[in-house]
Amino acid sequence: MAEEFNTEGMLDIYLFENGQLLERLQEMVLDQKDADGFDEDSINEIFRTMHTIKGSSGIMMFDNITAIAHKLEDIFFYLRESHPDNVPHLQLVEHVLEVEDFISGEMEKIRNGDTVDGDPKDIIKDLDAFLDQIKNGAGAGAKQAPENVHEEPKQFYIAPVATEASRFYKVYVNFSPDTGMANIRAYKIVYAMKEIAEDLLYSPEDILSDESSAEVIMKEGFKILLQAQCTEEEIRNIIGIGYDIKKVDVYECSANEFLQGFNFGDDQGSQQVIDLESSVEEIEAKAEQKEGEPEKKPEKPQIAPGDFVIKSKEPGKQKKLAKDKPKGHKDAFISVNVSKMDQLMDLIGELVISESVVLQNPDLKVPGLNLTNFNKAAAQMAKISTDLQNVIMSMRMMPLTNLFQKMNRTVFDISRKLGKNIDFEQVGEHTEVDKNIIDNISDPLMHLVRNAVDHGVETKEERAQTTKSERAKITLSARTEAGKVWISVTDDGKGLDRNKILAKARKKGLLDDDKPDSAYSDKEVFQFITLPGFSTNEQVTEYSGRGVGMDVVVQNIQSIGGALEIDSVAGEGSTFTLKIPLTLAIIDGIVMETGTSSFVVETGVIKEFVSVKEDMMIHEPNGDEYIMIRGECYPVLRLGEWYGLKEYRKSVEEGMMLIFEVENKTICLFVDRLIGKQEIVVKPIPSYVKKVKGLSGCTQLGDGSIALIIDPVGLIE
Amino acid sequence: MDEISEVKRQTDETLLGSDEHEAQKGKYMTFKSGNEYFGLKIQYVNEIIGFQAITAIPETEDYIKGLINLRGKIIPVIDVRLRFRQPAFEYNDRTCIIVINVKSTVVGLIVEKIAEVVEIREENILPPPSIGRADKAQNKYVYGIGKVGDSVKLLLDPDKLLNDEDLSALEQAGEMSNIEEVE
Repeated sequence: MAEEFNTEGMLDIYLFENGQLLERLQEMVLDQKDADGFDEDSINEIFRTMHTIKGSSGIMMFDNITAIAHKLEDIFFYLRESHPDNVPHLQLVEHVLEVEDFISGEMEKIRNGDTVDGDPKDIIKDLDAFLDQIKNGAGAGAKQAPENVHEEPKQFYIAPVATEASRFYKVYVNFSPDTGMANIRAYKIVYAMKEIAEDLLYSPEDILSDESSAEVIMKEGFKILLQAQCTEEEIRNIIGIGYDIKKVDVYECSANEFLQGFNFGDDQGSQQVIDLESSVEEIEAKAEQKEGEPEKKPEKPQIAPGDFVIKSKEPGKQKKLAKDKPKGHKDAFISVNVSKMDQLMDLIGELVISESVVLQNPDLKVPGLNLTNFNKAAAQMAKISTDLQNVIMSMRMMPLTNLFQKMNRTVFDISRKLGKNIDFEQVGEHTEVDKNIIDNISDPLMHLVRNAVDHGVETKEERAQTTKSERAKITLSARTEAGKVWISVTDDGKGLDRNKILAKARKKGLLDDDKPDSAYSDKEVFQFITLPGFSTNEQVTEYSGRGVGMDVVVQNIQSIGGALEIDSVAGEGSTFTLKIPLTLAIIDGIVMETGTSSFVVETGVIKEFVSVKEDMMIHEPNGDEYIMIRGECYPVLRLGEWYGLKEYRKSVEEGMMLIFEVENKTICLFVDRLIGKQEIVVKPIPSYVKKVKGLSGCTQLGDGSIALIIDPVGLIE
Repeated sequence: MDEISEVKRQTDETLLGSDEHEAQKGKYMTFKSGNEYFGLKIQYVNEIIGFQAITAIPETEDYIKGLINLRGKIIPVIDVRLRFRQPAFEYNDRTCIIVINVKSTVVGLIVEKIAEVVEIREENILPPPSIGRADKAQNKYVYGIGKVGDSVKLLLDPDKLLNDEDLSALEQAGEMSNIEEVE
């Protein structure tokens, strides 16, 4: 049935919508995984979600997804109807997640254009067994659930603000007498019309779930009321004349007629048009009325008034959904090729550069020029280009929510397998980060979370011997600080064992033999675990302990200009903090000069600029220099000396000191002079040149010359 | 500068005919460095630009002079004389940068003077004499000696010119970034 119907756009929408449904499902399930059972709302929600997925997968002919969704729907149907009170909740959660994984996996295949070949049989068997188990165990108290009859949660549309240009149409479609599945064909028409419709009503209504509607359509034709800004011709084009459609009649009608609904045998009395002019109460009343209907109709005999189905608080929620829908996906989301985004980003970078080339052009420095108008225009342009930059940056910013959700799932899976009781807490998951960075931190973060569950948190037995509560806690938190995002994984487990790490380090010859253990600070000791091949875990488990890991984490983080910080108190837990830049592309920088070279430092790390006097300097015999500023002593690094540049200023009184603070270390950098503050576009140093310590990239300045970007972390090392 | 623009024009003409691969065949861009004339296969040459300000990069080999800004693209430049372990020379207005592209690595070569584009037939190319010290520094960059009339051009292998011993350093860097992809 797909041949005369373009499924491409539909497929995208199918994937997008189901993806969202599944995401919400997972969130909800994980939310309640520790409860004794799902609450009624969730049971309804899961039931509805599965039902929707089943329906849409059926249309798209993904039979395995349909089958598995149907099975899970059955279970939740039973739960909803019979309220069994002895449901093994965790098993149920696992089953739901299993199904969710299966569907996600299949959808991934669809997305990649692979054949959808997953075999749901095993899962279905499990689900059947589970259903049997809860049915049989339900005891006499629970009444037998009725067969799960098909029902489609009714969608109704609230007309968006009707525009002047809207026109109203009545459309009658008659199918050829020998057409099979007229209801599905009718649905396709409806689906196609949603693209243009501002408001849409059709009869018979339950074409998807009620197969008998096919007969009605065959007998009476399919009737559509449409409000849209298009011509009769366009409507005809949308419906298209296939071999199965005998006749299409399109009549334009007035708004009043439209509101009256179908003037033909409106036997069910259920079509309603709600427009925004009616009062809120009216809408809600109508919504409520409608809401109850689909659930009641097919099951009148079984459902007693006291049974919940969808409670009256639901309409509000439903209404929101309905409001979201009509104009829907078409203009809300466009998927854009990432490479195009990158290209746009590059171009804007170039624009920023050429803007500064123009605005700081030496030709303008001629004395006596009247630049009032030029400056006005320049300010205007600068504003636009800043806005442009902000927009493109915000387009690339994504909240960490998805990433955190993934971690939640990981914690749940592993903790179940290891038999640990773990509470997972998320803080600040709405923090937004550049998409590139999210891609880069996903694996390292996963690793840290796994470590926390596997090594960090003690087993139940070990925990029982301490004063800690039986349930362990892992917190994943994100916040922005000093132009960086800090993402921490905190556990309340046993913490890192300082002595064990030291012993291992000594065995591996990493320690200075003359130095006693106590000479190493905690930070130094903990840094050892980030070295390749360093694992203090004696046993290799499924999740960690192979000694590859922390070093890879650190490398990944460093490759995007971030750092890993480890804090731990023995017996109380550890915190691993990733500090990563918000964005990689355009940074705010201070331009300075040493000798004939220009350098740039990210503004965020500079604490202050100081002009110093010679008598503030402290010289050590071995050549190290320190500086005393307001009673604090900082090490001094002369940039010119460090890079062996020529002709830099030697006397500290002629130059400028920059005080950096990075990773709680402070260092003074001595440069010749400051040039100014500028937004710079970070470009990598061509790979032909080997990596230079302390430089993270290069950039083009306003006059077209090149400046090197200093990486303060590299300098401190 | 007239000389440069003349050579540039020649090069451009040859490069423009690049759809005809035949047109480039056997053509060499020649330049002077020290007392010798060198030749580079024309298909490696992107363009020739006049000398421009170079931003030095600290802590690199001495022959890597730094970075230049080529219309928004940042490319490294190397000094051919230093590369051949010849004494450095003063840059003047005849100094040119030949931008070459070898296996999509774009690098500028600083040369004392651009000569001309010449055609050297296969039969006029001799293998470099292997007598004497085979390890003589510049031999490894020269894969042949081309005869043009009475003069002789040393034909350069651009791949070796850019890489060989640097290659190992590059590869190491490459391995570093590969590791990151593990798990």
